[in-house]
Amino acid sequence: MKKLWMMLFAVLMVVTLAACGNGEDEGDETGADDPTEGDIEEAPEGDEDDITAWAWDPNFNIRALELADDAYDGDADVELEIIENAQDDIVQRLNTSLSSGAMQGMPNIVLIEDYRAQSFLQAYPDAFYPITDYINVDDFADYKIEPTSLDGEQYGLPFDSGVAGLYIRTDYLEEAGYSVEDVQDITWSEYVEIGKDIKEATGNNMLTQDPGDLGLIRIMLQSAGSWYFEDDGSTPNLDNNPALEATAEAYREIMEADIVSMVSDWSQFVGAFNDGAVASVPTGNWITASVTAEESQSGDWAVVPMPKLEVDGATNYSNLGGSSWYVLNSDGKEKAAEFLGNTFGSNEAFYQDLIEEIGAIGTYLPGLQGDAFEMEHEFFGGQQIIADFSEWTDNIPAVNYGMHTYAIDDIMAVELQEYLNDKPLEDVLNDAQSQAETQLR
Amino acid sequence: MKKFKRILTYVFLSVAAIISIYPFFWMVVSSTNASVDVTRGRQLPGTHLIENLTNLFDQVNIVTALSNSFIIAILSTFFTLLTASLAGYGFEMFRSKWKDRTFNLLLLSMMIPFASIMVPLYRLFGRITPTAPLIGIDSLTAAFLPTVTTAFFIFFFRQNTKMFAKDLIEAGRIDGLSELGIFFRIYMPTMKTTYAAAAIIAFMNSWNNFLWPLVILQSPSQQTMPLLISNLGSSYAPDFGMIMSAITISTIPTAVVFFVMQKHFVAGMMGSVKG
Repeated sequence: MKKLWMMLFAVLMVVTLAACGNGEDEGDETGADDPTEGDIEEAPEGDEDDITAWAWDPNFNIRALELADDAYDGDADVELEIIENAQDDIVQRLNTSLSSGAMQGMPNIVLIEDYRAQSFLQAYPDAFYPITDYINVDDFADYKIEPTSLDGEQYGLPFDSGVAGLYIRTDYLEEAGYSVEDVQDITWSEYVEIGKDIKEATGNNMLTQDPGDLGLIRIMLQSAGSWYFEDDGSTPNLDNNPALEATAEAYREIMEADIVSMVSDWSQFVGAFNDGAVASVPTGNWITASVTAEESQSGDWAVVPMPKLEVDGATNYSNLGGSSWYVLNSDGKEKAAEFLGNTFGSNEAFYQDLIEEIGAIGTYLPGLQGDAFEMEHEFFGGQQIIADFSEWTDNIPAVNYGMHTYAIDDIMAVELQEYLNDKPLEDVLNDAQSQAETQLR
Repeated sequence: MKKFKRILTYVFLSVAAIISIYPFFWMVVSSTNASVDVTRGRQLPGTHLIENLTNLFDQVNIVTALSNSFIIAILSTFFTLLTASLAGYGFEMFRSKWKDRTFNLLLLSMMIPFASIMVPLYRLFGRITPTAPLIGIDSLTAAFLPTVTTAFFIFFFRQNTKMFAKDLIEAGRIDGLSELGIFFRIYMPTMKTTYAAAAIIAFMNSWNNFLWPLVILQSPSQQTMPLLISNLGSSYAPDFGMIMSAITISTIPTAVVFFVMQKHFVAGMMGSVKG
């Protein structure tokens, strides 16, 4: 009996080893075909004219791809297949696939958020296809170029502007004795004062904050032309950073003024302004769809430039989020890059469609004008919000988001709470700096 | 005193019951409300159920996702029970010097988090794909193959096998049954409760599995329910009412499986604890 088991085991081992051996051989062959590809295996050949694209919002960037497909007038044979994936799922899939070097099932075009772009470009140097030759880099908003390029090559085709604005309830302002003009180009201190008056007059808070989401901090930092990192994108720049100090102080002033509704997730955040519980929403322009979803508030809203910090280099313009298109370095890359160049990269009329159909503000400067931009929005009391947002887009300070924006976010979220609990600011930023240095080494 | 204790027990149990049932209640209620009402935290049933369902069926292919999830869950449960019970039976019934050492090694593998073997595993499937696309990347088979035999289920069956009367095996041998015959004709029917308990766990694990199907299944036609729900929440202005109705639909199968097999489940779990 025992002998039989041993024999069975031996046979099993031989079979497994043989199978492994086969796999190795095949791997080597594909590797030898194209030395530049290294270990990355080619995707199985489908229909040669098919290109696939991944994006995450059916009402926004997926719709944009559909419009691009309609607008495309280059090589007529290109068939675009659009696949919807949640943003976190795209990140997970790309990371798994690129780090294992198995490219099957990967798309040709993928949408990546600008904050994460450098981590992909730097971690997987050969995985993306440079599109420098397919677009004119100078045609795009300056601040989008830094996060989407690496070593002088342009990898990302800048898509939506995350240009930030202060959405504000005009009826609440009036009740507190203010007009929209009073909140144009103000500072954060003035914002807090107005917030207090509104709370006194209407009983409503000024804004919501989620302690785990540092969107507001990122808006403030970029508005002063600074970021968590030095210009190299990897050295943490947290202590001795005047902009970050001013940001932390402004944040604390807001949090301590008793004008904040605390929320813990996205649905509460949206619920608060849909419900009329807060007077303003300082965030990216992509929130427009959620604000206008509550039709009963039509005519009660306006959008003004962000309040600014009191520090050198401070502006009223900033950005939150925003993403760009990337081409993966696999079969069909030329077609995919040509498709992007033909649509998002050069078609001005297409950008008009983007505005009219989905309200998406691009970052292709020649496309930022025309009738669609003059449209008056009834919901915002007849304000030309698209024209305003596009004008602000041009003024956003360019910063390098680096590789680890979200890692620093986690550190700062904890340290800022300490700051609110009366830990001295200097210690807060010093501790954040040393944590960042240890973690990212 | 006795009465007081009783009241206390019931109060405690009621609180525990409310805490565990409330999320389900809110899920079902929310699936009948508009997105705006869900974000406001409305606790009363609304009138948007039909609208939410219509939107859901219009926007995504939920039938495909449900059937994919069913195929994966059923195949996965079947193969898990078959392999794990064979292994558990073998470990308990046959003598070998190496048996316990091998088993300990197997148990150690329970400590490896899945995320750490995911990349090599993906690479492996990437290698298989060109020669055997049916079990390669983007195939339903690949979505459950790596989780078919886990140390947990082998352990579960071995523990329960300890209670199995060995005399039955002797009797089977005397009557001339083969070893496999003993397993299929004597062991399997007597261990029904253990199989039921394992089936519930395996089915739920597979039904709710997210990470591995996420990376291995890429085309929309291969999507499972958890992937579909994840997609629904990805937009900048999510329709929470619709998402809640999708989640409600996706909970139904596990609930049905659980309630149908509940009696056996409790018995099976008790067995594994006693053993």
